[in-house]
Amino acid sequence: MIEVRGIYKRFDDNEVLTDISLTINEGEVVAIIGPSGSGKSTLLRCINYLEPPDKGDVLIDGELAYRDFKGKELSKAKIASTRSTVGMVFQHFDLFPHMTVLDNVCSGPRFVSKVDKAEYQQRAKKLLERVGVAEKQDQYPGQLSGGQQQRVAIARSLAMEPAAMLFDEPTSSLDPELVGEVLSVMRQLVDDGMTMAVVTHEMGFVRQVADRVIFMDCGKIVEEGTPEALFTNPQHERTRAFLSAILSHTERTKPEPTSDPQTIVEESSYPIVLP
Amino acid sequence: MFFNPELALDALSTLSLGLLVTILLTLACGFTSLILGIFVALARMSRFWLLRIVVNGYVQLMRSTPLLIQLIYIYFALPFIGIRLDPFLAAYVGLSLHVSAYLAEVYRGGIEAVPKGQTDASAALGMRPSVIMARVVLPQAIRIVIPSLGNYMVSLFKDTSLAAVITVQELLFRGQIFAARTYDYFTIYTLVFAMYFAIGYPAIRLVIYIEKKLKRGYTAKLAEKPARDIAVMEETK
Ligand SMILES: Nc1ncnc2c1ncn2[C@@H]1O[C@H](COP(=O)(O)OP(=O)(O)OP(=O)(O)O)[C@@H](O)[C@H]1O
Ligand SMILES: [Mg+2]
Repeated sequence: MIEVRGIYKRFDDNEVLTDISLTINEGEVVAIIGPSGSGKSTLLRCINYLEPPDKGDVLIDGELAYRDFKGKELSKAKIASTRSTVGMVFQHFDLFPHMTVLDNVCSGPRFVSKVDKAEYQQRAKKLLERVGVAEKQDQYPGQLSGGQQQRVAIARSLAMEPAAMLFDEPTSSLDPELVGEVLSVMRQLVDDGMTMAVVTHEMGFVRQVADRVIFMDCGKIVEEGTPEALFTNPQHERTRAFLSAILSHTERTKPEPTSDPQTIVEESSYPIVLP
Repeated sequence: MFFNPELALDALSTLSLGLLVTILLTLACGFTSLILGIFVALARMSRFWLLRIVVNGYVQLMRSTPLLIQLIYIYFALPFIGIRLDPFLAAYVGLSLHVSAYLAEVYRGGIEAVPKGQTDASAALGMRPSVIMARVVLPQAIRIVIPSLGNYMVSLFKDTSLAAVITVQELLFRGQIFAARTYDYFTIYTLVFAMYFAIGYPAIRLVIYIEKKLKRGYTAKLAEKPARDIAVMEETK
């Protein structure tokens, strides 16, 4: 579905991604974890070309997505249309503050795909119901809680009916009690078979839904495996150090009050065993 | 008594006509430059380098020379190369070009103030650059700069008085003529002064009011909420 081949990216003389290759198969959920500054966001942004890689290719459905085989950039229109097949959700939601919640969700179909108004409005309303913010449709993003905003952002992405979704720390800027509601929407997506790449520090969530975990450090993929394998038996010292730091942090902040009973169970059991 | 009420009454009709011309000139130039300014700002960010250079040159020229000489040049100098404009049109063109250059800078500031996440989010949805600008960035940028635009409109209103130099029959020009005829500079110019103030001051208050209103951010009309709740919410802030 998504294939990244030998991507390099540097900002000035800061080499952020070094020879990254990975494949995300259809229906697969891949979690990307790693310390701050390791290049996780940059990798996601390269996948939909918000950040053009210096070297390397991105293939979507087996085709070069943004550049031809000579490395020449495709047309803006082509790039835009490829992007619309891969949804992205950001840490700070980035909803359009000047549009109502409903207009936010309609914005993709309305300004990109030019489908019939009645059709996309109906779809948007369904999506808002699905993420549980239907009653807010006429409000502006600024009037919503962080958790509600992020759920609207997810609905906005889904309105383009993407084949895959990229999540960049979708819960990191949320108050702890709002994390559960966003994770439960994401879990629904997993259950529906969505192909996903998720950068997150929510190890409980990773453990529960990820098919594969990729640990990145200093712009490289250090190791990858099933959550089970990576959490219980990390092969590299850096992975171990990172996991133990994360674990001790979550231990400290563990008793998170949350209204979602499912989340309480899941978020409070961190079955991470470190050697 | 320095102020002669009878003479003032006499002058009032011609001065009112002058004020009308002043207001017309303000509205015409204001409307034009509010729109032209956006295009100038966009042209300065264009990917066509020639367009960028030309428009940039125009903006620098307008910003680095006095408005007065710009108007004089258009009205008195351009006829020598065959461009003959009547006074009102010359003032309209001169003021619009001048103000557009400034507004372009204002718009550019507004565009740059829109967070990068907005562009990223729209690009990720598959919007093309022109759509992102028109639907996401500009609407937010314009809202950000509305108070500045308002202040520039008030300045424009005052600057139209410079058009007197190129014989536009606006408020100051008519005052000058009337005063020169009657020698009662005090009465006439006091009246002219007061008439500018009568428009300019409410305009400034309006800008301040709008600025305050915009500070509240984007909010839906909370029609379904009883007003009492909102009052309580505001108090507890
Ligand atoms: N637009 C940019 N310009 C310059 N440097 C950048 C830019 N974006 C990212 N970087 C740098 O690239 C490095 C990797 O950043 P990136 O955001 O990809 O890391 P991350 O793993 O997502 O970290 P975090 O967990 O803090 O989000 C950092 O050192 C960052 O300062
Ligand atoms: Mg990041």
